[in-house]
Amino acid sequence: MSTQSCNPWKFVPYQHQGPHQETEVDAHVRSPTKHNGPVKAGGIITFMGAPYCPPDREKIKEMGAKVCFLGAPWDLSTIVRTGTSSGPQGIRDASTQYFPYMFEYDVDLMTFFNVVDCGDIPIVPGNSAKSQQYMVDYVSECLEGGARVILVGGDHSVPIPGARALSNHLALHRPQAKMGYLHIDCHLDAAVDWGGIEITNASGPPMALKLPNCSGENMAHMGSRNGLNPKDWMDFWIDNEIPIVPMSEVVEKGVDECTRFIFDRASRDTETIYCSWDTDSIDHSCMPGTSCPESYGLKSREALQIARIAGEYDVGVFEIAELSPVFDTSQISTKLACNLIYHYLGSRARALRARGETP
Amino acid sequence: MNPVKAFNHLFSPLGGTEADNYRTPGQLSFLRAPFVPVFGDELKEAECNYAYIGVPFDEGNVGKPGCEDGPREFRVASLDYFPYWFEFNVDLNGSVVDCGDISMPRVNPEVARERIYNAVKFALDAGKTPIICGGDRSISIPAAKALSDHLGASKKMGYMHLGAHLDFADSWAGESNVSTCAMARITELPNLAAENVSHIGARNSFNPKDHIDLARSRQVRFHPMVEVLERGVGEVMDETIERVWGGTDGQYLSFNFNVMDSSVAPGVTATETGGLESREIMQIASRLGETGGPSIIDVTELCPMFDVSGSTSRMAVCVVLRIMAGIAKLNGDTLDESLRRPGWTHN
Repeated sequence: MSTQSCNPWKFVPYQHQGPHQETEVDAHVRSPTKHNGPVKAGGIITFMGAPYCPPDREKIKEMGAKVCFLGAPWDLSTIVRTGTSSGPQGIRDASTQYFPYMFEYDVDLMTFFNVVDCGDIPIVPGNSAKSQQYMVDYVSECLEGGARVILVGGDHSVPIPGARALSNHLALHRPQAKMGYLHIDCHLDAAVDWGGIEITNASGPPMALKLPNCSGENMAHMGSRNGLNPKDWMDFWIDNEIPIVPMSEVVEKGVDECTRFIFDRASRDTETIYCSWDTDSIDHSCMPGTSCPESYGLKSREALQIARIAGEYDVGVFEIAELSPVFDTSQISTKLACNLIYHYLGSRARALRARGETP
Repeated sequence: MNPVKAFNHLFSPLGGTEADNYRTPGQLSFLRAPFVPVFGDELKEAECNYAYIGVPFDEGNVGKPGCEDGPREFRVASLDYFPYWFEFNVDLNGSVVDCGDISMPRVNPEVARERIYNAVKFALDAGKTPIICGGDRSISIPAAKALSDHLGASKKMGYMHLGAHLDFADSWAGESNVSTCAMARITELPNLAAENVSHIGARNSFNPKDHIDLARSRQVRFHPMVEVLERGVGEVMDETIERVWGGTDGQYLSFNFNVMDSSVAPGVTATETGGLESREIMQIASRLGETGGPSIIDVTELCPMFDVSGSTSRMAVCVVLRIMAGIAKLNGDTLDESLRRPGWTHN
C-alpha cells in the first residue's frame, strides 16, 4: 500500500480494507478474499468508500477527481419537520453496503470518475444566510476544481446556494452560456417568500429564476401532488409559464416520457443543468425517511429510471434533498437515495463511453 | 384560525404575515378547523359540510392494539396539509368543523356503541357529513345504524367498504358486535339491500370460511384483491359505485386502510400484503370525488404506534381530503382563476 499511496485510487478503499490489507488496485470491484467486504465493516465511512479530499480546488485538481460528494447537513431553513441534517451520513452509511462496480453498466464508478468525498459543509446553527454562503463557497470549490458535484442535503433550501454556485461558475468561465434548472418534488416549492423570508426550503425555483443565466425556458417541475401546495406556489409556475408535470401526468404518460420532457427542456441551448431532487417525490412506501412522506408518489423503479435518464444529460450538480434517516425503517430510504446516485453515475459513465468521452 | 371568506390562508405562509409554524397551530384540530360540539344547535348553524368526529374506541378489536390513538394522529397528520388543492383549484377552508372525540367509557362497549350512535345520528340530523375516525372497525356498526335510522325506513342506503377482511362473522367468540362482525351486522340493516353493498380488497387468510359463506348467502358482491388486480381499479370502481350510489338516498363510505399493501400502510391494526398501491387509492379517491358526496365517511383501524414516519396517517388524511376536494370541484366550488396573493407579483 505504501508504494501506491501517491495515487489515492491505487489503494483499496477504506471500506474494502482487511486486517491485512489487500493491495490489488482493483480489489474493490471483486468479492473480498480476506474479510467481509463492505457489508458489515464500514471502516472510516465515506461515500462509496471513496478517498477523502478537502473541498479545495487545488486538491481536487491534484487528485484528478471528476465527481465530488458533498454533504450539506442543514435543516434549519425548513418549514416542515427537521432531521434532514443526517441525510449525508445516511447515504454514506448505506453506501457501505454497495460495491463501486455496477454490472448493469459494467463500470467501476470509483476509478471511472475518480470519486472523492469532500465531507460535509460546515453550517452555522440558526443562521440560514451564513450557512447557505458556506454552501455556495464549498460547491464552488468543487466546480472550480473541475469536478461535478453530488450534493446531498439537508433540507430543500440546498438548491438555493447550490444553483447559485453553478450559476457563478458558469458565468465566470462561459459568460454568455445558460443553465437549466429542474425540480423533482412532491411540492411546487414556489414561495417567493415565506413570511418575508426568501431562502426557505419552499423557495428553490423562484430563487433559481433570479439567477442571471437561468431562464424559465430551461426550467421545469415534476412530481407535484396533494395538498401541501399553497395557491401562490401554483401561481408562480402558471404566471411564469414554466411547465409542471404533476404526478397524475407521470402516472398517465409514464416516467420515461415525462423525465425526457423536463430534461430536454433544461438542456435546450444550455451548458449545464442543476438537478434538484427532493426525496418526497418518491412514494412514502419506498421513502418513509423523508421530511414529508407523501402517498401517490414515484415507485422506486420509476425513481431509478429517472436517475438513469439524468445520466444521459449534462448535469453539473446532482442534488438529493430532504433525506431524513431518523424517520427511515430498515434503511429502505437511505439505500434508495444511495442508488439514485449510483445509477445516475453508472448511466452517465455508459453515456460518456458511448460517445467516446471521459469525465 | 384563518378568517373565513378571506383568502389569505390560500397563500404562503398560510394566512397572516407572521409565518407561524402551520404544523403547530396551538390547538390541535382536523385541518385547523374550529371546534364545534356535536350536540347542540351550533353544529346545525355552522356553515360547513363536514363534521370530523373522533372515536377512540379499541374494545371491539380482535387484532393488535393501538387504534384508539387513530383520531388524534389523524388530526396531527392533517396539519401537514393546506386547505388549498392545486389539482382541483379548490379551497377546503371552512368546509369542515372538528367535533372532538366522543367520550368513550372503559370496559363498557355497549355504552360506547350507544354514544357513537347518538353522536353520528346527531351530526347527520344537523345536516353534516360526518367524517368518523376510529377506533376499530366495530365502530362502523353503530355509525351505519345511525345513517340507516337517519334516512328512515322509506329511503334506501348504500354501503361501500374497502379493506382486506370481509368481517362477516355472525359472531366471534360469542360476541356479535366486534370488528370481525361489522359487515354481518351492517348488512342486516332494514333499508340496506344486498344489491347496494360493495366490499373491495379482500385477500389472504384472515377470512374464515363462515365469513365467505355468510357473505354469499346474503348475496353480497365482494371484489377480492385478485379481481381488482385483474380488472384494474377503474373498472371495479365503475361497477361498485353504480351499485352503491345507484338508486340510493344515502351512502356510507368506509375505509379500513389495511386495504393498502403493507408497504404503503404499516400503521394499521392488521397489515396485509398484496394490497393496493398508493396511486391506486388516489385514483379511487378521485373517482369517488367525481361521484359526489357520501353521507358518511369513516376511517378505521389506523394504528399510529406501528406506523413508520407518520406516513400511513398522512395517506389516510390525503385520501379523505382528496375526496373532499373532488366533491368541492364537482359542486363548482372552484376558485377564481385570477385570484392572486395580495400585494405582490411573481416577477
